[in-house]
This record gives sequence, C-alpha cells and structure tokens, in this order.
Amino acid sequence: MDRKEDLEATGDRFRDLILRDPRAHDEIRRGRAVFLEEVERRNASSGLPRGAARQRRRWLPIVVSASVAAGVAAFFVVTRPVTFQIGEARPGQVGSVIEATDGRTVPVSFSEGSTLSLHDGGRIRVLSLKRGDTRVLVEDGVVDASIAHRGGAPTRWQFEVGAYHVTVNGTRFRMAFHGADDRSLRVSTEEGSVTVSGGCLEAAKTVSAGEILEASCPAREVPAPDDVPAAEAALAPTPDLAAKAMRTERWRELLAAGRLLEGLRAAERANFDQVCRTATAKELLALADAGRFFGPSKRAVAALVALRARFPGSAVAGTAAFTLGRIVFEKEHDYSQAASWFETYLREQPSGPLMGDAFGRLMEARLRAGDTLRARTTAEQYLGRFPAGPYSAEARGILGR
Amino acid sequence: MGTGARSKIDKLAKFRGPRSRPGPVHLPTPLTFVGDDAALVAALRAGHPGAAAAFYDRYVEHVRLTLRSILGPDEDIPDLLQEVFIRALDRVRNLREVDRLASWLTTMAVFVARAQIRIRSRRRWLRFFSPERTRPPQLEQPSSDARRALRELHAILDQMPIDERTAFVLRYLHRITLLEAAEACETSLATFKRRLARAEARFRDAVRARPEFTQWLDEGTRWTEKKT
Repeated sequence: MDRKEDLEATGDRFRDLILRDPRAHDEIRRGRAVFLEEVERRNASSGLPRGAARQRRRWLPIVVSASVAAGVAAFFVVTRPVTFQIGEARPGQVGSVIEATDGRTVPVSFSEGSTLSLHDGGRIRVLSLKRGDTRVLVEDGVVDASIAHRGGAPTRWQFEVGAYHVTVNGTRFRMAFHGADDRSLRVSTEEGSVTVSGGCLEAAKTVSAGEILEASCPAREVPAPDDVPAAEAALAPTPDLAAKAMRTERWRELLAAGRLLEGLRAAERANFDQVCRTATAKELLALADAGRFFGPSKRAVAALVALRARFPGSAVAGTAAFTLGRIVFEKEHDYSQAASWFETYLREQPSGPLMGDAFGRLMEARLRAGDTLRARTTAEQYLGRFPAGPYSAEARGILGR
Repeated sequence: MGTGARSKIDKLAKFRGPRSRPGPVHLPTPLTFVGDDAALVAALRAGHPGAAAAFYDRYVEHVRLTLRSILGPDEDIPDLLQEVFIRALDRVRNLREVDRLASWLTTMAVFVARAQIRIRSRRRWLRFFSPERTRPPQLEQPSSDARRALRELHAILDQMPIDERTAFVLRYLHRITLLEAAEACETSLATFKRRLARAEARFRDAVRARPEFTQWLDEGTRWTEKKT
C-alpha cells in the first residue's frame, strides 16, 4: 500500500465495485426519469416554476448564527445597496414569495449582515430594501431574525405581520404568525428589543430580551388569504361579482407563483371544471403536477384530460398521455389502460424526450397486464433500439436471455 | 383499477381516448441519437428532442461513478444525477472544448457532490443533540464481501476533508490525469498535488488501522473473519 501502484490497483477494484453495484441500475433509471421529466417540464412550461420535485432538491437547511451575521456586517457594506439571497446562492427579488417547504429551514441572508431563518411552512416577502430601511411581510410561519448593526449606523427594520407591525430595536428575536388559522402572533426576543403595534393592541408594546408577547385578533379584523372571497363580499359594492373575480384570479396567481398546492385548492374553490376549461396548457400541467404530488389524483387526471382535449396534437398533449399512463400504472394499477396511454404517447411523440421511458414502461405494463406475447415483442424492439438502455435488463428478463 | 375508478376517468375523458382508437400500434423508429460528442453538443444546443436522453445515457455511468465514489451510498443519487445533467444542459452553450465533455461533466459532478457533502454536514450539525439521527442512513447491509469493502472504503473517505477526499477519488478511482483532476476541482496543479499527498497519507494510515480491510486488499475478494 506504500506504492502508488498499490493505490491505483485499490482504486481500480473499488471503481469496479461501484460500477457493478446492484443498485446502480435503479439509480440510473430513476435519475433518468426525473431528468427527462424535468427536461419535458422545461420545454412545456418554461414560464412556470420548476415544480415541487426540483424545489425539494436544493433547498438547503442552514442556521446562521448571530456571530456570523455580525462578522459579515463590515463597515464598507453600509455604502452599498442592500441585496439578499435565499439559501446559499439564489438571489432574492423584492416582492417575490419566499417559502420553506419539505421540512427545511430556509435562510435569507442580507448583504449588510442580517439574516432571517424561515422555518418549515413559513412564507415571507421582502417588500423594500432601501438603505437603512428594510420592510418584510410575514405571511405565515415562524421566522428567526438576527439583525446586524452596521458599524453603528442606524438600521431600521420593519416586519408587517398580518395586522401587526414589528419594529426592530434590537438584534435577535423570533416571530410566529399563524395567518391561516387563528391569526395569532407570538414574539420572543433573545437580545435587544422589538416594538409591536397594530392589530388588536391598544398601544405599542416593547418586547425586551427574555420576554414574550402573544396576541390574537378575531378573524374579521384581517381576512386570511383563503377567506378573501368572504372579506371581499363584506367590502365590495357588488359582492358576488367581486368575490368571484377574486376566486378566478387567485388560482392563477398561486400557480404562477409556484404554490401548486394552494393553486390547486384555489382552483377547486373556483370550480375546478371551469378552471380546466379556461386554463392555459402550462397551467393545466401545473394543476396536474399538484394533483399528482398532493392529491387527489383525480384532479391530475381531469387536468390532463382537459389538456389533451383542448390542445390536441401538441407536445404537451403527448406529455399528458404519458403522465396519464404513469398515474393509472402507479396509482390505479390498471396496466392495460397504462399501456394504451404509453402507446398513445409513442404514436403522438415518436421522437419526444420521454420516448425511451414510454417504450420501457409500455413493455412493463404489457407484461403486468398479462399480455406476454406483446411484452416480448416490445422487449425485442426495445433491445434492438436501446441495447444498453435503462430497461434493457428487464427486456432481457422478459426474453429469457 | 376498479370499474368505478375507471368509469370516473372515462367520464372525465370526454374526448377520444386511447381505448377508443384501437388498432395496431406502429411503434415509430425512435430517434436514436447517432454521432460523436461534437454532434451531441450541437444537438443539445439546438434543442434536439432526443439529445437530452442520449446525453444522459452516454455519460450517466461516468457521472454516477464520480458522485458515488465521493459520496458513498446516498439516497439522493438519482436526484443528484438529474442535477448534474440539468446544470450541464443549462451551461452547454458555454462549453468551448467539446472534446473534453467528460471532464467538463466531472467538474459539475464534483461541484454537486461537494454541495451534497456540505448539506450532510449541516444536517449532522442540526441534529447534534439527536445522536441516533446523526448516523447516515444505512442504505445497504453488508450482505457481501464487496459491499463490506465498499463500506469500509467510504468510512475511510468520510474521515477525510472534502478537498482531499475528492482528490483521492478523482486520481485513484477515476484514474484521470493530475491536470484534469485539478481542473475538475477548480484549483491549481500544485494545490491539487498537496491535497492528494495528504489524502494518500491519510488513506494509508486508515488502512493500516483496519487489518481486515488490508487483508481484503492483499488477498483479493474474500474477507477473513476476525479470529477471536
């Protein structure tokens, strides 16, 4: 082991072990499926967010300590425009939604040294980033804030939390706001102090280090996003039309913001059938994704069926056929029906990016449906075209090779 | 699928679905991509429909080897494969030396693997007070000598700093040249050599401390049960 030749021989043996790892085939196939699905999604819906699968992958859990934040806040930063980034590298944009999903904590780091940690389920927007004056809207969830003092320069941070205003006097505190439930606010301060005003509070209250403030307003004071129709009905001169208009636009906005689950729920409230008749192809794909990821799958089926009916012959219609095949294969276990959908995809998109997968799944669906003869035919065709493809092992198995 | 569920779908399908179009399926001649790397890159840049799949199929083993050898067993490997190839698609227009496509992909795989290691570290740190959760998930049991050896290898590599681990893997598992490996790590050749030297020393020390592992390396494929 003292010679480089020994190390090289060791490396060669381990390389072979890794390449011959029995899980390699499965990893490669699963990677291929998500990769091609992402390619397809990009081609079909470049204007929409990448979807939950992509979002899941690279949201990074970070806890940034106050000491790090303070260290970053060097004096020269004061003279620069304040910027912020989400996670490790994604530049933040004023007004855009920042969400924490999948059990992750999302850090938001500001160039002047302050940090916010958004806990799972939280949703915020940075509203303003003027020098020395930052405003953040907390729509929901738990936020840990660590505000940096920039070389003694005055720093003003304001948080709009439902009907409340939280003005920062100190450095470290936590806010927990349940906008969708009881609209309660809980502020606990670790260092310094914050001032809370508005909402149901008769007067502004200062929450100093070690103190906790809890406040809750009746729901009528500030309507939750989900209650927007009711709130609009109370305020608008033509309540029915206004509420309907709000519902109509709400799902569209949510889907465009990448909030698939909420978009789906809003679409259901706004009459899902009607939504399927008016949504664009991209929106229908997004609704189908939401149905697949969050259920029920019947929503995904309805969206995909509508997409095929309204955009026949398009690439997205082919994708819809493939996805319908996956749904009935994986959720309904109707392999004959699944085979029909995969055939449809291959007929409509013979050179589509999902062609290889459709071929492999067709083979598998036919086998599971008991159509051994056609499964063998498909397996032979598959091997003829993809002798080393991701389904080649199954194809050989079907053929008994 | 039950009759009820199917009828629900059929009700939704107020169009001519696939079942209403019986008849032989003329499976098309698929677009099997033919061409060298230069043609593949050109096809990727042009948005050729079959290029992405061909790109993946051609290089996935190479990329997986990089990820798997640096990371060891990881349940996220499929997602990481996707990430490497998506990054590559996003940047393929900037690729200048088409004949070095594999090296270029190695650089991206190294980048993604290192990011994954950092994520793991943070997870461990976050779970500091839950010792039972700090252990990486056991994705495989030592059901064979080979897996046992692989597990030992990754235990050794896990003890190395990221830079040294990456250097060792690229040099000895990938067997790429020092220059290529340095480029993949985005560092100078001299720095890479220093990292590699440290990694070699650590590896040798770790192997010496594992007699069974040493025996496996010396004797071939069989573990020898430790005699008590």
